Amino acid sequence: MILEVAGVTKVFSGKGESKTIANDNLSFRINEGELFGLLGQNGAGKTTLVNQILGLVTPDKGDIHLLGKSVLQSPKWARTICSVQPQSQVPLGFLTPRQAVTLMGKMRAGKAFDSKRVDQLFDSLDMGEWANKEGEKLSGGARRLTAFCMAVIAPGKLVILDEPTNDVDPVRRRLLWNVIRDLTNDGTSVILVTHNVVEAEKVVDRVAIIKQGQFLAVGSPSEIKSSVSNLMRIEVNLASDLVNIQIPSWALSTYQKGSRLLFSMDPSDVLPTIDWAKDQSDNGLVIDYSLSPTTIEDAYIELTSRKAGVV
Amino acid sequence: MPLFSHYKYVFQLQFLRNAGFLIFMAMIQILISIGIVIGFTYLIPTPNTSTILYLATGAPTIILIFTGLVILPQQVGTSKSDGYMEFMRTWPVNRGVILGADTTIWLCITIPGIVVSTIVAHFTFHPGYDISWTVVPALLMIALTSIGIGYGFSYLLSPTASLTISQIVVFGALMFSPVNFPMERLPEWLQSLHEVLPIYSMAEVTRASLAASTFDASFGNYLNLFIWCVIGFGGAIYILNKK
Repeated sequence: MILEVAGVTKVFSGKGESKTIANDNLSFRINEGELFGLLGQNGAGKTTLVNQILGLVTPDKGDIHLLGKSVLQSPKWARTICSVQPQSQVPLGFLTPRQAVTLMGKMRAGKAFDSKRVDQLFDSLDMGEWANKEGEKLSGGARRLTAFCMAVIAPGKLVILDEPTNDVDPVRRRLLWNVIRDLTNDGTSVILVTHNVVEAEKVVDRVAIIKQGQFLAVGSPSEIKSSVSNLMRIEVNLASDLVNIQIPSWALSTYQKGSRLLFSMDPSDVLPTIDWAKDQSDNGLVIDYSLSPTTIEDAYIELTSRKAGVV
Repeated sequence: MPLFSHYKYVFQLQFLRNAGFLIFMAMIQILISIGIVIGFTYLIPTPNTSTILYLATGAPTIILIFTGLVILPQQVGTSKSDGYMEFMRTWPVNRGVILGADTTIWLCITIPGIVVSTIVAHFTFHPGYDISWTVVPALLMIALTSIGIGYGFSYLLSPTASLTISQIVVFGALMFSPVNFPMERLPEWLQSLHEVLPIYSMAEVTRASLAASTFDASFGNYLNLFIWCVIGFGGAIYILNKK
């Protein structure tokens, strides 16, 4: 057991009497070498939870144990066990990626630091060309990867990555997932904080879906999917954002963002759905569509919209 | 891991991160301090030696105030708003180490301005420097006081609020504080205020160490600096460790 979070509650008081329950009685465990996804929309309480694990914020109720030791009692120790890639860009200033990563490695590992690991990391992320360029001159993706390397150069027992793939190109995203997998194979546990559900599904061992400070579901991606249903889903690209399209009556849960429309259906409704999509396409309302089994994104949308009554 | 190696790596990280900015600031300070000594003599048509000595021994104080209470709070404000402060809080080191490493950097960038302006003033005006052995500990104490207060209020307040204070300080220190002229010229209420604020004590202690045969600093001045220094750093460490 690397991490045990037990009944953690954190309430922030705003102006006057107003209160925000950022974390509401959250409990979960992370094992050695596990890649744990923490999924949730903006403001769901993910960062608050992470900050409590790091000992930066004290829970109002509950306790957090890292390797069996309470974080509340030894927050500095928690920071030596955990390393973090923050969600916001790390302003590198005049630091080059090599300087930033090397110094962070020395700060974490001390004399045990192996400078060869810096080159290995840069090679495996194909970022050698940026290694000696000043941070200010780097692109957003290169800076994000540098912050990632700073977090994993001398990993403790737990690495927390907050949206690590933001700004990173598709090729290097794959390389990044490989590096994360290598970490977990070496016994380091990883918490992946993200709202990119599709990407998370492919890599995580277990996920927790958090909304308004509460866990809606915790389990492996397939457990979470089956907890919702074994439905089919269609994804439709609309011709324009504002199309007021007639959604079929058999659609079970609907989600629309911009020109992207998703809905799920019972497998028996697949054929009428294809007819429906073809009609819409012939009328020029739909550009293209694709049909697939339920993904974790559907489960996620289903779970997160259920309570809000948006279905 | 020993504190010292943490200090070393944090220092390197912070120094290299700000390298370009720090060199630029050190140069600006050289210009400002020379400007105070030479520029103010244009303001005063026929300055006597005593006036020039006030200006020449006031310039280092202004540099130290400027660094601790103006540039530093602006930097802290920036690192608060761009998330760097939050990132530093996740480092596996004692927070006091970060404060110590940053303080060392701020101390270093004040040195060129103080040294150059003193040399320039000496060879241009021969204002009557009489540098005492106390110059290093005295300036160090003033610098630490100024840096400590700067950290204290910029950690405590929002970036906007600390920026406002900085603007008031830079103007107030230059025009309404007994740094470049004697205290007696100020109205009484301002004199009483300066007995409490640290600026007057900073100026007195600097003068007493740079022109020991002309000026004296009282025990009260040193005590005043010490108290402000402790309040500033104490507050900063408290806020850094607050959850």
